Amino acid sequence: MALLEARELSKSFGALTAVNAVNLRIEPGTLHSIIGPNGAGKTTLFNLLTGRFAPSAGRILFDGRDITGTRAHRIAHLGLARSFQRTNVFPAFTLLDNVWVAAFACSRSWRGLLWRRTESYAGVSAQARQALNDVGLIAKQSELAREISHGEQRQLELAIALAAAPRVLLLDEPAAGLSPEETRRMVALVRALKGRYTIVLIEHKMDIIMSVSDRISVMHFGSLIAEGTPAEIQRNPEVRRAYLGGMAA
Amino acid sequence: MRHAIVTEIWIFAIFGLGLNLLLGYTGLLSFGQATFFGSAAYVAGYLLKYYGIGIFTALGVGIGVGALSALVVGYLCVQRAGLYFIMLTFALNQLFYFIAYQWTSVTGGEDGMPGIPRPALLGIDFRQPLAYYVLVSALFLLSLWAMQRIVESPLGKILQAIRENEVRAEALGYNVPRFKLLAFVIGGAFSGFAGVLYAMLFGIVPLEAIGVVFSGNVVFATLIGGSGSLYGPIIGSVVFIWLSESVSVLWARWPLLLGVAFVIVVLFFRGGVVEAWSRIWRFSKRAS
Repeated sequence: MALLEARELSKSFGALTAVNAVNLRIEPGTLHSIIGPNGAGKTTLFNLLTGRFAPSAGRILFDGRDITGTRAHRIAHLGLARSFQRTNVFPAFTLLDNVWVAAFACSRSWRGLLWRRTESYAGVSAQARQALNDVGLIAKQSELAREISHGEQRQLELAIALAAAPRVLLLDEPAAGLSPEETRRMVALVRALKGRYTIVLIEHKMDIIMSVSDRISVMHFGSLIAEGTPAEIQRNPEVRRAYLGGMAA
Repeated sequence: MRHAIVTEIWIFAIFGLGLNLLLGYTGLLSFGQATFFGSAAYVAGYLLKYYGIGIFTALGVGIGVGALSALVVGYLCVQRAGLYFIMLTFALNQLFYFIAYQWTSVTGGEDGMPGIPRPALLGIDFRQPLAYYVLVSALFLLSLWAMQRIVESPLGKILQAIRENEVRAEALGYNVPRFKLLAFVIGGAFSGFAGVLYAMLFGIVPLEAIGVVFSGNVVFATLIGGSGSLYGPIIGSVVFIWLSESVSVLWARWPLLLGVAFVIVVLFFRGGVVEAWSRIWRFSKRAS
């Protein structure tokens, strides 16, 4: 059974249909990529899946449960964590505090919310440090988020998503704006996370997509036009016309 | 300085601590804190005057009324963001003000509610200025300690996270409006607590205690002191009350000074006196 499923999911903004009757099944343990030209509706699809926008039509199922219309903060508690395409961290916080609030959000007990010191939550702090360690930022845990490099902020973005110990990780262009060297590091990171999490990945860089994905869905003007393994997608003539061809031109 | 002035400073500082949880930590500018301050002062004042309740009962009532009124006002305000939020806190404050203004049989309207006693406790006569000063000082330290615990708790972190990045906080799993409301209720409880102490200090609840000018004053004082730190509102209260009580005797146009101080803060020291001080400190250390 699919862990995350979209059925005939649509979203319109006035006359514009950003997501048009999308059917998507994310199998547990896989890395499923969503590709498509700019403006194809990929980020909007993420915003629907994570409850930031309510869909205009269609249903979303998580672990067999209908979560359509559930608000973002509740969906996060179910185990869906996302990273953002534009870096979206807490700039005035230290790196550790950035991941700490993420880990605390999904900790099972909020006892002492008003009076316990944050350092006394050993489990939450350990989970936060683990997330920083996973992305290789543990050495910089006391630095402020606004003072680290863009590449490191992208890693932090990922760590915040990881800190919530999610069941599904939705990564929106984790390599956006990274140098080739930083991109290599990010790819290695995503590959290391593969298998530990069910991952849905939006990415533009085809070499990344082809090398890490188990399955690929192709979006074009709000609709899914193809789905398959990397090899199948590369052979698909419609995809070549809509996307790969467009890039070559 | 007379005991009464320092007592007033501590009371205003408690009021400022409550506002700063909203303004400094959550990033919500409330222009209606006097709603909770005044409501608590009226209710507890009424009970003190006509029902002879004790000091601690009155303070408990104040906390309760402050929190409850903040729950109602906050529930309406947190639905909106930015300017609309500010205007709502302001408008609802006006609403409460006019209720107090019209309801003369209870509040005394423009004349205020006079004759509020300071009941004795354990044989201590709090009508003595020194005794009341000591009591308020102790309660101020208690409030400061409580607020410090709150801002260093997970709640403090979450509120700051909301201030820094509301969308991300929501995506992490925090019900942002609910947390804003919680900040409101806690701030309201501090305001109500201060309101009752204020009523007992002067023996009257003046109509101004629920007015928007009073709400503005605490925002002013907090910004001058520095909204970025726990101690900012305390320093702001010292500056504000000291100026208003001592300079106002010498010069009726004293708010001009306050205006100048405010302009300087906004232009050069966004972190208020606290930031100015730490900059001077660093500068002098580098110079030596």
